Amino acid sequence: MAKALLNLVDVQVRRGMNTVLEGCTLAVGAGQTVVLTGANGAGKSTLLETAAGLLPMEQGHVEHGEVVVADADGRRRPSPLTVGMTLQRNGVLGSELVAEHLQTAMSMSGHSVDIDPFLEAFNLMHRANDLVAHLSQGQARKVAVLAGLLPAFASPTPALIILDEPDAGLDDASIEILGQWLNELRAMGHALLVATHDERVMTQATHLYNTDQSEVETTTEPPVGKVDARTSREVKPLSPSAFGVKIHLRTMMWLNTNAMAGLLTLGILLTLGDFMEELDNLQRMGFILAPTLAVGLCGEPLVAALREERAGVWWRAVGGGEPHAGWIPLAIGAVFTFLTTNGLQDAREIHIILTGAVLCFVVWHSVGWMQRSTQRLARPHAVFIGLLTPVLILPYSILIGLLA
Amino acid sequence: MRLGETVLFVGFTGIGTTLLLALLWAPSVSINAFESPAAQRIFYWHVPAAWAAFIAFGALFVGSAGWLFKRSERMWRLHVAGSEAGLATGLMTVWSGCVWGAAEWGTPWDWTDVRLNTFGLLTLLAIYVVLGRNSQPDGVETRDTFAAFGLYGFVLVPVTYIATRIWTIRHPGPVVGTGDEGSINGEMGLVLLIGAVSFTVFIIGHMMASMRLTALEQRLERMQHNFDGGA
Repeated sequence: MAKALLNLVDVQVRRGMNTVLEGCTLAVGAGQTVVLTGANGAGKSTLLETAAGLLPMEQGHVEHGEVVVADADGRRRPSPLTVGMTLQRNGVLGSELVAEHLQTAMSMSGHSVDIDPFLEAFNLMHRANDLVAHLSQGQARKVAVLAGLLPAFASPTPALIILDEPDAGLDDASIEILGQWLNELRAMGHALLVATHDERVMTQATHLYNTDQSEVETTTEPPVGKVDARTSREVKPLSPSAFGVKIHLRTMMWLNTNAMAGLLTLGILLTLGDFMEELDNLQRMGFILAPTLAVGLCGEPLVAALREERAGVWWRAVGGGEPHAGWIPLAIGAVFTFLTTNGLQDAREIHIILTGAVLCFVVWHSVGWMQRSTQRLARPHAVFIGLLTPVLILPYSILIGLLA
Repeated sequence: MRLGETVLFVGFTGIGTTLLLALLWAPSVSINAFESPAAQRIFYWHVPAAWAAFIAFGALFVGSAGWLFKRSERMWRLHVAGSEAGLATGLMTVWSGCVWGAAEWGTPWDWTDVRLNTFGLLTLLAIYVVLGRNSQPDGVETRDTFAAFGLYGFVLVPVTYIATRIWTIRHPGPVVGTGDEGSINGEMGLVLLIGAVSFTVFIIGHMMASMRLTALEQRLERMQHNFDGGA
């Protein structure tokens, strides 16, 4: 038995009101390809997402290598392995560039390989610097499949690759190439867990796991094909925060929500006329920080953006967390406090501007946390999350009290 | 009539009696002690409603913990009942407090008062849990998420309870159980007691009826699921 890189031990998972997995035990060793079979709704995607540590379990646990990455008590640990994942949805934002997304996926392993041969094989070379949003559905699917495979090609140590119907939407030639790559990855000693309905992908299996009957069947091992020599080099992993900042700066999504709320609040204050002279210190600070509070109360626009093609889920599977705006609220908070002190002709004191920056940072990320806390729901957009934001008046009142 | 509905009816009757006694029998308070002595009669509604809200939020906490840690269907029904009862009594408390505050303090709300704001947040949490839960299909994801909010929200209960003991800003401190004679005479105390008992009976009846209703909804969903072929 090859060394197990993935172990699911007596796992039970419920989704909605149904128990989808019951007593599921499965091991995938280095150099093995386990293909999941079963009818639609049998639990293949649930099993894959559980294996990636994404879904809560009622019982059992999931191990990556020697480490328990998720258990039924809700404990989570980062995987010690390089994990490549292709979800049933593509898991990529339309605002990302093709090559950029693939480099991001590989950077999680701390290593990178030349992506040109892969892009050429999938006829995507001419699209390398295009936005994913500009691709056809089939091309976007190829990018998602490559993002699942490339971390293993780059990783010098055995990696865990989880692919959910990678063949869906691919043409015949691409499925042939996909089969060759799966073969190559197995020969390199990686562990692969693949859900598929395609016979050509199934031929790459060393084991078949029928999710209807929870049974593993050993197949005739497919012959090992040619392994291309690829030189991998070390790269710095991209953190969810760095990615979030990059997307914020590129798309300026904060302008449409947070900044507009701040500008409208400032505009309303300016229409009230010259009133600052008549206010006491507490009221003055309250007005100065009001636009900054409005900026923060809009929360994290990336949370909604990351629902596109389940990009946030992909990040949680391979990168350990969901991207966020990082330091951006600090900068926007400082700018808005500066603008407000200017607009209201108040003293531009550095400690007030710094306080505005901190307030914006705290409120923005707190609302972001509230938004993310409902992501597991079937309809997260339908939840009345705004009802919880008045709790943030507390840090606002504490800060204006301190400043006054 | 089922037991829950019977208890609810008894509670309603008691609340009606409390209102009648508060308006027609309870003694008037001194004009020297209150800005608006007539509005003080809201007290006989406001305080028992707040008491009942704390019981409801307690039930919400127990139900949430019971679902998260024991996966008990009964505890989930208690979570549902506690949140709905907390919403009803929380709104009664906030609404009556605003009316009384407007008459007594000249303002319905004070953003600097800890008791007012923590209780307001608790009520908002109940609205959030009830509306949010109703916006989602039933399932472990929905239950886990809202049960977690039920647990977090309970942190506000002790803060709200001790708020007037630590920070008396605008809202007055406790009037019973303080160890001294207090500011309530016998007749006032009796009406308040009837109100507290009535609201307690009301909230228990409400939760019993709500738990039965949720059980019926769950039964209906199971039957629909079976008709769908269990897919």
